Amino acid sequence: MREKPEEGILKVKSILEKYPKERRFLLAILQDIQKTYNYLPREALNEVRDYLGIPLSSLYSMATFYKALSLKPKGRYVIKVCDGTACHIRGSLDIVEEIKKQLSISPGEVTKDGKFSLETVNCLGSCALAPVMVINDKYYGNLKPAMVKDILESTGD
Amino acid sequence: MKVIIDDKEFEAEYGEYILDVARRNGIHIPTLCHSDTVPGQGSCRLCIVEVYERGKNKVVVSCLYPITGEIKVYTNSEKIHRMRRNIIRLLAARAPGSEYIKKLKEEYGIPEETRFIVDEKEKCVLCGLCVKACEKLGSMAISTVNRGATKKVAPPFEEPPVDCIGCASCAHVCPTGAIEVRECKGKRVIWNRTFELLKCTSCGRYFITREQYEYMKNRLGIDMKELLCDRCRQKSTAEKLVSLYKKLLV
Amino acid sequence: MNGMVQVPRRTVLVCCGTGCLANNSMEIYKKLKDKAAELESGFPVIPVLKATGCNGLCERGPIIQVLPDDIFYCKVSVSDVDEIFERTILKGDVIERLLYLDASSGKRVRSFKESEFYKKQFKIALRNIGQIDPACIDDYIERGGYEALKKALFEMSPEQVISEIERSGLRGRGGAGFPTGYKWRQCSKTNDFPKYVVCNGDEGDPGAFMDRSIMEGDPHSVIEGMIIGAYAVGAEKGFIYIRDEYSLAVRNVSKAIEDAYIRGYLGRDIMGSGFSLDIEVVRGGGAFVCGESTALMASIEGRVGEPRVKYIRSTEKGLWGKPTVLNNVETWANVPVIITRGAEWFSSIGTEKSKGTKVFSLVGKVKNTGLIEVPMGMTLREIIFGIGGGIAGSGKFKAVQTGGPSGGCIPEALLDLPVDFDSLSDAGSMMGSGGMIVMDDRTCMVEVARYYLKFLSEESCGKCTPCREGIRRMLEVLEDICAGEGREEDIELLLELSETVKEASLCGLGKTAPNPVLTTIKYFKDEYLAHIKEKRCPAGVCKKLTSYRINPDLCRGCSLCAKRCPAGAISGKQGKIYEIDQGICTVCGTCREVCRFGAVEVAGRATE
Ligand SMILES: Cc1cc2nc3c(=O)[nH]c(=O)nc-3n(C[C@H](O)[C@H](O)[C@H](O)COP(=O)(O)O)c2cc1C
Ligand code: SF4
Ligand code: SF4
Ligand code: SF4
Ligand code: FES
Ligand code: FES
Repeated sequence: MREKPEEGILKVKSILEKYPKERRFLLAILQDIQKTYNYLPREALNEVRDYLGIPLSSLYSMATFYKALSLKPKGRYVIKVCDGTACHIRGSLDIVEEIKKQLSISPGEVTKDGKFSLETVNCLGSCALAPVMVINDKYYGNLKPAMVKDILESTGD
Repeated sequence: MKVIIDDKEFEAEYGEYILDVARRNGIHIPTLCHSDTVPGQGSCRLCIVEVYERGKNKVVVSCLYPITGEIKVYTNSEKIHRMRRNIIRLLAARAPGSEYIKKLKEEYGIPEETRFIVDEKEKCVLCGLCVKACEKLGSMAISTVNRGATKKVAPPFEEPPVDCIGCASCAHVCPTGAIEVRECKGKRVIWNRTFELLKCTSCGRYFITREQYEYMKNRLGIDMKELLCDRCRQKSTAEKLVSLYKKLLV
Repeated sequence: MNGMVQVPRRTVLVCCGTGCLANNSMEIYKKLKDKAAELESGFPVIPVLKATGCNGLCERGPIIQVLPDDIFYCKVSVSDVDEIFERTILKGDVIERLLYLDASSGKRVRSFKESEFYKKQFKIALRNIGQIDPACIDDYIERGGYEALKKALFEMSPEQVISEIERSGLRGRGGAGFPTGYKWRQCSKTNDFPKYVVCNGDEGDPGAFMDRSIMEGDPHSVIEGMIIGAYAVGAEKGFIYIRDEYSLAVRNVSKAIEDAYIRGYLGRDIMGSGFSLDIEVVRGGGAFVCGESTALMASIEGRVGEPRVKYIRSTEKGLWGKPTVLNNVETWANVPVIITRGAEWFSSIGTEKSKGTKVFSLVGKVKNTGLIEVPMGMTLREIIFGIGGGIAGSGKFKAVQTGGPSGGCIPEALLDLPVDFDSLSDAGSMMGSGGMIVMDDRTCMVEVARYYLKFLSEESCGKCTPCREGIRRMLEVLEDICAGEGREEDIELLLELSETVKEASLCGLGKTAPNPVLTTIKYFKDEYLAHIKEKRCPAGVCKKLTSYRINPDLCRGCSLCAKRCPAGAISGKQGKIYEIDQGICTVCGTCREVCRFGAVEVAGRATE
């Protein structure tokens, strides 16, 4: 975890407390943890196991099955480039190429400084603006490769 | 109730699975992910059959299709045969290392794979039996991870599994011999974790891991006052349990 | 305010759907709101501002409507706000340059309702979207919301509700078009409790966003539909499963549920009827397969989204093994209207076997992209060339993809096909959830098939052999073909594997996965052959099979291509014919894109 372990665990505890001890809240709990830390820290999974009494193997299975969950830390800014059909046929892969060139990372990777990570996703639900990408919560539509550089530069901490 | 399989009439109980009726009557349907102790998977699709029900024709898996009305079943029609061959081809391309799959391949006369990229060492066909067996025992040390084409069976974080008790049930239930178990000098290695084996106090044979022993004692509440292997301890509670494991292995 | 004289109001609707938000509509909304707040009393109008859901015209966003004047502005920017406020909102003047430009007639129209895009539509599921503030339950009620619920609870028995839905002919909008009334009846007959109702808002089809719009823009219609359904089958708990990426939908639906509780439409003893229902939102985890009903239920239970064998229906054994009715967002949104206006009215719309309307997200290489709702049975041609205004840019229509990864590509020859469940299935495609992606001659059909199989190989849950291994191998073959490594027998092999994957897979994902391959082989075999035999990609998409040439007869020597080529592969002199160095060219296609004379042509694999 990025902060001191004790603080980290405290946050996990406060997430857990919001939910009754029932299996059906597992996915929601994992998503909340993902949101808080940008990934699922191991210590946090241990806490979830103890709280819900679900074995680690099931948690690992969930974490690797759902795309919304990840076991590796993501960047502070997560770039999701849509490669849904509408975006695909309007050139989304050229956008991915341009980002790869600008940041020297491939989808699934994080920049060395931890600022950006890159992912491709299947449809952001804004197909009419294809091709589309979203950085954290900000949408960019009707993209052209030439726009990428400016967008990345204007995304600051 | 009556059911017609391959043009012959048989008796079946309401809700009975086609596979069970077929087997009882000596009709062979190949299976891979089916086991009487851990049923309900339907993942390998090897046991497909054609069913005619209420004027409709469909392909179903015999291991899970319940007989609830008048049906006609064809276990090896031309279409089924063709598709089963394709499934075996796909399994063989995935897990060429497995002897069992090699045998199936020969039985169905499937030529050597030349079109697809294969990994010669792979043996697992992802039937899921090992995960189910481990779950049924209650240790739940392993699971499937990932999804789609990259799915596999692994312990959490692909490290030696903390919850594993080294019982090797997973390895025994595996139809393709994909899970490696090594035993030597009082140690058992499975899933890259090494377990200490305990000796039978009577015959001196290594027969159980310490964790397995603890598990029986603490989780199942069975205390073996003396550590006796099943050969030495007849009619004891321990024996019942070990044989329960054994049943799982079939 | 002034109690005696009625001061006229002007309602300003600012679209704040995901698409318009992406174009800064929130800032426009806030600025307008600030201006309205600053306005001192005594003005001749009171501006009422509302942030609405998605109008479906995202491409022209941000969108503002002014009522009752019915003025419709597109592509509004923050700098236009002052003018809009002073002229339109306060005085009712029209600002010509902001009006909607009708692609078909080339004219600007004052009211959206006058546009070709709108005129041919028929709105049931989208009835309120863009007209109400989704966060405001009173807006919904004002337009007749929760009347259907009252009618169902107090004037109809559960049996009557089911029979009304049955007679309406409503079929599920989420995929296969299963008759909704029949499903409800199955569940109501099962004598096992508790029962559940579930709304499928996973919308996994990449290239479709109608369910998102409904959940964002009119969440109460879904909730009302679910309450009515729950009453009909006797369920006491409901879940709305919403796709992970749809954060705004999650917010709006959650707010709507809260408000419905406060008003007594949810919870114990709804409006004193004795009927009780709780509804909860569940966020999806990001897996296409979780749109499949049994996988979705596994996911709600907190498990990995693996489908189970469905020889026993979910209406008997669904969530936690209990009877469950699962319907799509749009299906639920249709229910209140059917109850209010009656089965006869509903079944008078559409075709013999497909009643009512269907919402499509019309996207891709078409002029007017966006959400549309049309009566079943309208032809593809009317939709694409009428409502959609035809192909965008200079391309030529090639195919339209419907049904997403489970559907297929329909060629020009079938453009007069009426759009309903059965005609689309007969053509080898599917209605699916309503994605409609228009492709032109710059789309490679082999690559489209490859694209969908790649998607499916990642999104398959991986449980059963035919789907996991079959799709993976079909993808291997398609990748080879796209890379120029295809073999003559590959088409046969694809067809044979398709049969096994289709017939022997466990769930609907595998059972429909070969459709993109089968339809493209059926209708565009020559493209496959061009790739395999001639090592050529006719659309110029598969880079390994494409090179660009400048046609000397068409080149005017304007130098634009040379200036734009990022690789610096084009040389020549102003006024003379330009040439591409095949050794340097990265086949990015920029030159083809920029040439105004169509001089850059696609050729087969470069031989140099
Ligand atoms: C792989 C797969 C994905 C699906 N995705 C969706 C989806 O995203 N949304 C949806 O409503 N239905 C989806 N369906 C269809 C559902 O399984 C189910 O049939 C539908 O939600 C039932 O509702 P309806 O009868 O109202 O259409 C999917 C089916 C399959 C096989
Ligand atoms: S050996 Fe370990 S992983 Fe295998 S079944 Fe036993 S406990 Fe489970
Ligand atoms: S390891 Fe064996 S039992 Fe486990 S999934 Fe693979 S083939 Fe099946
Ligand atoms: S068909 Fe595909 S998605 Fe469905 S159960 Fe089989 S592997 Fe999973
Ligand atoms: S395909 Fe990219 S937003 Fe839908
Ligand atoms: S034995 Fe029936 S599906 Fe595997």
